Amino acid sequence: MIKKQKNIISYAFDCILRYKMRTMVILITFLIATTMISSVLFVKDGLEKEAEISIEAAPDLTIQFLRGGRLEPIPISYINEISKIEGVEKVVPRIWGYVGISNYVFTIIGIDTSNISPLENFGLESGRFIKEGDRGKIVVGKLLANLLNLKVGDNVIFLNEAIQAKKYQVIGIFSDQTSIYTADMIIMSIEDARDFFNIPNGYVSDLCVYINPRYRPSDIAVKMSTIPNLRVLDKDLLLRGYKVAYASRGGIFVTLWSIILVAVTLISLSQMIVVGQQSRFEVGLLKSFGFSTLDIIEVRLIESLVIGFFASSLGMILGYIYSLYLGAPGLIDILLGWYFLPREFKIPVFINWTTVFSIYSVTIFPLLIATVVPAWLNAITDPDIAMRRGIA
Amino acid sequence: MIELRNITKIYNKGKPNEVIALKDINMKIEEGKITVITGPSGCGKTTLLSIIGLILTPTYGDVIYNGENVTKYSDYWKTKFRRENIGFIFQHINLLPGYNALENILLPLYSMDLNPMDYIDKAMELLSRLKVLERAKHKVEQLSGGEQQRIAFVRALIKDPKYILADEPTVFVDEETSHIIHNIMEDLRDKGKTIIISTHDPELIKIADKVYRLYNGRLIT
Repeated sequence: MIKKQKNIISYAFDCILRYKMRTMVILITFLIATTMISSVLFVKDGLEKEAEISIEAAPDLTIQFLRGGRLEPIPISYINEISKIEGVEKVVPRIWGYVGISNYVFTIIGIDTSNISPLENFGLESGRFIKEGDRGKIVVGKLLANLLNLKVGDNVIFLNEAIQAKKYQVIGIFSDQTSIYTADMIIMSIEDARDFFNIPNGYVSDLCVYINPRYRPSDIAVKMSTIPNLRVLDKDLLLRGYKVAYASRGGIFVTLWSIILVAVTLISLSQMIVVGQQSRFEVGLLKSFGFSTLDIIEVRLIESLVIGFFASSLGMILGYIYSLYLGAPGLIDILLGWYFLPREFKIPVFINWTTVFSIYSVTIFPLLIATVVPAWLNAITDPDIAMRRGIA
Repeated sequence: MIELRNITKIYNKGKPNEVIALKDINMKIEEGKITVITGPSGCGKTTLLSIIGLILTPTYGDVIYNGENVTKYSDYWKTKFRRENIGFIFQHINLLPGYNALENILLPLYSMDLNPMDYIDKAMELLSRLKVLERAKHKVEQLSGGEQQRIAFVRALIKDPKYILADEPTVFVDEETSHIIHNIMEDLRDKGKTIIISTHDPELIKIADKVYRLYNGRLIT
């Protein structure tokens, strides 16, 4: 049986080379489709991974203050109340908001310098992080640094909503290799942020709550929900939110490309029909020689698997190159939404094996159907009839 | 012994374009003999040969090989039987385009548990005997009708089948080649092969042990 299997595999490979036109049409169309699908999914997976990394730096719980259902600065008096809850290890105030510079929006985060910030874990390309007592000093993400051509030691002026000019000195620049999360950030002391956003004393944007590892944040969040006017954001909830956002954006693309994939399948199918007459004759002839129905299905299966696997694999490699090295033009803006990324910023690309398996499935499966089913139908027909139809 | 009992073949049965190709055919084909089926074009010779070769199922009637009624046997059984016992020479030659002559000859061996390359010498010997050795590596499209027919002849013999079914095997070849084919047929008979030929060729009819005449789908002698 080993020799027979070798013969069938050898014959299947011969068919791939013999039906050059069909092989090329299927190869090219599947290549285009898998390149696009894989680039979308690899970037989406990369962004999700990025979100996971970013969330690592986030507090276990974030407490916001609601008045009339709208977000308002939270009185710092809540720190005492929240600190008393069993399991709460630390409550750190934070002031944050957005500032428009040029045509882009950046995020200012004012941190309590008396506490160690998890943001310190993100690598700096140059300079140092904000420390206690620093006033008028900022650490910026790579985006702003590139936009304004900033270096450590440079001074920069931002305008706040009251059109007041505020001057800051750059003391550190985040590395562009670390995370998209830091790309649009401007870190300053909480006092400077309060001044910039004109937030009254005794109030902050939100409170960062760190939970003792022995407790589950979700349990503490339930306890906090009994305090009126507070909104509690769970770290896991934020991560899920990110994932849903990226997945839905990725989903739009995947839907579009799935439609294209269907079109591609139809092209392949029509190509099969073009060579169908020849294929029908061939199946009839092979059966008359003694190829069983299973042998014929095996031949077509091998052909489709080889072409499909080759096209999908090559498509994924091209998709990876398109995303990682070319920056996924035309795709990244939609996937990132509110983000602006300069050309030199490395797009997060991540290869998830589930995604790879899914791409293989959605590309190879239709091809198998398009090739194996007609072959099977011909194989179960009397060989004489199949040959006559093929010649006719 | 191959026996056909009340074989009827109706194409497009029950449809307006229904054709009765064969009607109540009864015949016995002895092993180790040359049996010729002759008759005018469209009389059903090819259909009858296909039914004998188990590549076409009769509408009615039975095909019996050595006392075993194989008509209703599974497709798998028939395929295996053909693989092990039958060599076909088709009227339309039926070589696969895109392959060269030698590849076409070796093709039936790909369904068997053997190495087709081990049969190259045998193929070359037969090609030489039929004076087409120099065409072994030529693509089918580059061969004349007569050359294609000789290739198809070699292909039918390559796996040394017990039964050889030849549909108009000399129709495209010249007199000299036709003579060679007659000699090969006689040699095969001497080796105990059962040969069933559908033909108009009077020379082939001359070497037959038994001749059946078909007319309008019916056996007349």
